[in-house]
Amino acid sequence: MRWPWERAKESLSEELEAHLHIATAERVARGEDPAQARAAALRELGNLPLIEDVTRERWGWMWLENILHDTRYALRQLRRAPAFTATALLTLAFGIGANLGVFQLLYAVILAELPIPHPEEVVRIHAARTPFDQSWTISYPAYQRLRAATPDVPLMASAYAQDATLDLPNRAPIEAACTLVSDNYFSGLGVAPATGRLFVQADERMGQGEWPVVLRYDFARKTFGSAQQAVGQHILLNGRAFVVIGVANRRFLGDRTGYAPDIWLPLAVQNTGALAVPWDSLGPGHDVSLGKPWYNQPTIFWLVLMARIPPVRRAAVLAHWDQVFRDDREVMTEATADSVVKNALLHVRTGVAPLSENGMRKRFTVPLTILMALSASIFLVGCLNLANLQLARLHARAHDLSVRMALGASRGRLIRQIVLEDALLVAGGSVCAFALGSAASGILVRWVSNRNDLFTLDLHPNLPLAALGAGLMLLSLLCFSILPAVIAIRTGVGQAAGSRAKVAGVSQTAHQRFRSNVLLGTQVSLSLLLSTMSACFAATLVHWETVDVGMDREHVLIVRPELHEPRYTDHSEMLPELYSRIQERLQELPGVRSAAVEMCGGIHCGWITALYVNGRNDLTDAQVHGQEDHVGIGFFPTLGIPILRGRDFSSSDTDKTQRVAIISRAYARQLFGDADPIGQWVGYGPAPNDHKFLIVGEVADARVNGAEREAPPVVYMSINQNPAPVNSIRVRAVGDPRQLSDSVRHALSEVDPALHVSEIVPLATELDGDLGTEKLLARLAGVYASLTLLLVAIGFYGVMSSRTTRRKNEFGIRLALGATRGHIQMLIVGQTARILLSGILPGAILSILAVRAASHFLYGSVSANSLAIIGASIVLAIAGSVATLIPAHRAALADPLEMLRSE
Amino acid sequence: MAETTKYQNRIELMQGTLDMLVLQALLREPMHGYAIAQKIRSRSGEVFTVETGSLYPALHRLERQKWVKSEWKLTESKQRAKFYQLTALGRKQLTTDHQRWLQLVSAIGAVMEPEVQP
Repeated sequence: MRWPWERAKESLSEELEAHLHIATAERVARGEDPAQARAAALRELGNLPLIEDVTRERWGWMWLENILHDTRYALRQLRRAPAFTATALLTLAFGIGANLGVFQLLYAVILAELPIPHPEEVVRIHAARTPFDQSWTISYPAYQRLRAATPDVPLMASAYAQDATLDLPNRAPIEAACTLVSDNYFSGLGVAPATGRLFVQADERMGQGEWPVVLRYDFARKTFGSAQQAVGQHILLNGRAFVVIGVANRRFLGDRTGYAPDIWLPLAVQNTGALAVPWDSLGPGHDVSLGKPWYNQPTIFWLVLMARIPPVRRAAVLAHWDQVFRDDREVMTEATADSVVKNALLHVRTGVAPLSENGMRKRFTVPLTILMALSASIFLVGCLNLANLQLARLHARAHDLSVRMALGASRGRLIRQIVLEDALLVAGGSVCAFALGSAASGILVRWVSNRNDLFTLDLHPNLPLAALGAGLMLLSLLCFSILPAVIAIRTGVGQAAGSRAKVAGVSQTAHQRFRSNVLLGTQVSLSLLLSTMSACFAATLVHWETVDVGMDREHVLIVRPELHEPRYTDHSEMLPELYSRIQERLQELPGVRSAAVEMCGGIHCGWITALYVNGRNDLTDAQVHGQEDHVGIGFFPTLGIPILRGRDFSSSDTDKTQRVAIISRAYARQLFGDADPIGQWVGYGPAPNDHKFLIVGEVADARVNGAEREAPPVVYMSINQNPAPVNSIRVRAVGDPRQLSDSVRHALSEVDPALHVSEIVPLATELDGDLGTEKLLARLAGVYASLTLLLVAIGFYGVMSSRTTRRKNEFGIRLALGATRGHIQMLIVGQTARILLSGILPGAILSILAVRAASHFLYGSVSANSLAIIGASIVLAIAGSVATLIPAHRAALADPLEMLRSE
Repeated sequence: MAETTKYQNRIELMQGTLDMLVLQALLREPMHGYAIAQKIRSRSGEVFTVETGSLYPALHRLERQKWVKSEWKLTESKQRAKFYQLTALGRKQLTTDHQRWLQLVSAIGAVMEPEVQP
C-alpha cells in the first residue's frame, strides 16, 4: 500500500523537475550551452531537497508523516534489542498491573459509594445494642411502630439469613446467600430493576403459596443464563416454592461491602421458617418462641435498619423515633440485672452511622494501604531499573546518535524518537498491565476471601482506575524515557560527536557513574524493604498457622451431620443413644483416638450467654457474659483441651439427674477469681434462677473463636441433659485426620444409613480459613519481593555489562601490564559490593520504619524482624553478586592482545 | 535545521505580499511555477527575484487554502508541468489583499510626506 503523501511527494519532485526543465530550455533557447544552462538553472533553483522539505511543511501533515517514520524506526530499534524490550514490557506490565490490581480492590472496599442516587442521604439507624450479641438489631413490632411514626421517611429493614439450598430442575443443588428485606428496601435505596420488578407492599402479605424473590444480576446470569431468563422462574429454596419476580440493577450488590446476597426475599418469609436467621433475645428463661412466626414477638431482635433522611431533617426524625422506641428499651433492660447497664440502656439515644462504616472498611483500610505502598515501591523499583538500563543503552547508542546529529537531525527530533520508542513500550506494557491488573484484583479477592467468609466485590473498571493507569503510564514514561533521553542527549552525545575513534574513547564520566550507582542503590534499598516486609508477613502467617490454640489443631476432624430433620428433631429423647452409638463405632476405627459430638459446627460458633452465681448479686454484665456450647461425653479429650479441676461429663449425667456444667479457666476467673469453682451453683438469671447448674469441672482455655482471637470464657453443658441435634462430630486421629474422611463417612452410614454428612474438614483448615488478610499480605509481598529481586539482578547485570564493555581497553592494558584475571574480576565485583552496601544501609533503616508502621499486622519480636532484615540483605547481596559475576567473568576472560589491537 | 529556519523567516517576512503577487500573476490565465516567477520578475522591472524556495511553499500553501487549484498540463513546448489557476475564493482574496495594500501604501506615504512648517 502507498501512503497518500508518497504520491504527493513524487508529484512535488516532478513539479520541481519540470521547473528545472523549463528554465534550462529557456536558457538553451537564449543560446546557452545545454550543459551550462542546466548547471545555471540548478544554481538559480537552490537546494532542491530543502525546497521540497519546506514546501511539504506547507501541506500541514508533515508531523503525521514524521511520526509514522519515527514509529517504524522505533519498532526496528526495539526488535533489535529483544532482551531490553522484554524486560521493559514485563517490568511495566507488573509494575503498573500490580498497582491497578491493588487499587481496584482498595477502591471497591474503601472508596466506592453504593451505586444508588444520593448515597450520602442513606444511613444506618442504631436504636439500641441487643443484650447479648451487642448487635444493632430490633424486633419486627418495633420496626413497624418506627415506620408508622414517620410515614414520609423511607425506613428499610433487612436481615442476613444463613445460606439456603437452591434446587433447580435437572441440576445439582447450589448454596445461595439470602437476605430478607422490607418491601420498601429497593424503592427506599433507589435501586432500579435490571429486568422484571422489585418488591412492593403486596409482597409482604402473609401466607403466600409461592413467595416472590429478587436476584442479584450476576447470580441470575450465572444460574439462569441471563437476567431476562431468570424472571418468572419457579425455584425451590430449602424445599419451599419461590418465584423470581425481578433482577436488581447490575451494579447493586447489596448494602454491605463484600457481602453480596444472591437472593433477596420479603421479611414475611421468616414466618414460614424456611430460612435460618440470626437473632438475639432477652436470654434463657424469657418467653421466646423461636419456632413460631416472629412478626408479633417484641423480644426477638433480628432486623437491621437503614433510612433515607436528608441531613437537615435527621435530628428531628431521630428524636421522634426515640420517643416511639422507649417501650422497647424498657423491654431490653429485662435482660440484665446490672443496674449500670440498665440505666445506660435507657439513656441511649437513637443514632445514625454512615453506610460505609462496616467491618470491611475497618478491617482492610490498613492492610490495603500497606499493599498500595508496596505496589508503589515495586513500580518505583521498576522505573529506576528501566531508567538505568535506558541510560546504559543510550550510552551504547551514542555513536549512532552523534552521527545522526552530525547529519542534521535536531536534538528535539532525536529525543522524540527515543521517547516514542519508549512510548510504544509503555503502551504495550500498559495493555498487559490492565489485563494483569483486572486478573490480579480477581485473584486478590480470592486470596483475601477465606473459607469462612467469601467476598463479592464490584470490580468493574472505573474512572479513578483509568486515571491511575494513565498517570502511572505518564510517570513511567517520564522516569525511564524522557529524563534519561534528555540527559543523554545533552551530555553524552554532545561529547561523543565526531569520529568513531573518539566515540570509542569516550569513557563514562565520574558524574555518570555516580548517577547510575545512585539509581542502583535506591533499587537495592527498596528491594530490601520489600523483601523484609515479605519475610515479616510470611513469619506472621506461619505464626498464626502454628500458634497454640489450646486444642489439638493438627489431628482433629470436624464432621458435619444433617440432624435438623424431623426424624431426629421430633424424637430428641432418642439422640443421646444415637450419639453414644456414633461415638463407639467411630472409636473402633483404626487411627481414631477418640470421638465426640458438639452443638457447635465449627469455630466462631458458641452463642453468648449469661451465668449468675448463686448467692452473689454483685456481678456486673461484664462478669456474667460468656459463651455457651453443648457437648457430648469425651469432648475435651477429643479436642485436646486439658481438664484442670473436677471431672468430665459422664454417662451418669442424664436428663433425670442434676444439671451439671463445666467452665473454662477464663470464665472461672471472671466469676470466682482464683477461688475453686467446683461445687458452685450457677443459673441463667439472677435469683431465683441462679442455681440450675452445678459446676463439676474446670477446663483450660481454647481459642474457639479463631487462632487470632483471645480464648473466650466458655461454659460447656452436657448435650445428654438437654438433647438436641448437634452440628458437628469431632474425631481425633492418631495421624493425618484427612485420611480418615472415607472411613468416618462409611462408619456413620453403618450406624445410621439415613444420616447425611454435609461436610468433613480438618480443624486446621477451619482455623486457617480465618487468615485471609494475613495470606493476602504474605503472598502478595512474597510475589513483590521476588519480582524486585529479579529486577535488581537484571539491573546489576545490565549496568555492569555495559560498564565492562566500555572498559575493555583498560582491562586489556591492565592484563598486559600484569594484572591477573582475579584482579579484574575483583575490580568489578568490588563496584557491585560498594553499591550493594550503600543501598542496604538506607534500606535497612527504611525497613525498620516500615516494620514499626505495620507492627499491628506483624507478629514477631524485634529480633525476629531484624533477622528478616539481615536475611533479606544476604539474599539481595547474593542476587547482586551473581548478576555481576557473569560480566566480570566475561571481562576477565578477554584476550589482552585482541583488545590492544583494536585500540 | 538552521537553514530551514532561514527560509521560513524569509517566507514569513514577505508572506502576505508574495501571496498577493502570485495571485495577481494568475489573474489572467493559469500558469506553472516557472512562468509565475518570470512574470513577477519582468513586471517588477527585474526588481523582485522570486526565489524558488519561497515560490513553491507559497503555491502549495495557497492551494491548501483553496485560493488556487492545480492541474498537470502540457506546455507549448510539450513539457509536462503543473499549472495553477485562480479560484473564485482566490479572486476575492486578491481584491481584499489589494485594497489593504493600497491602504498601507497611502498610509505609509502620508507618514513619510515632509511635514509642513506652520
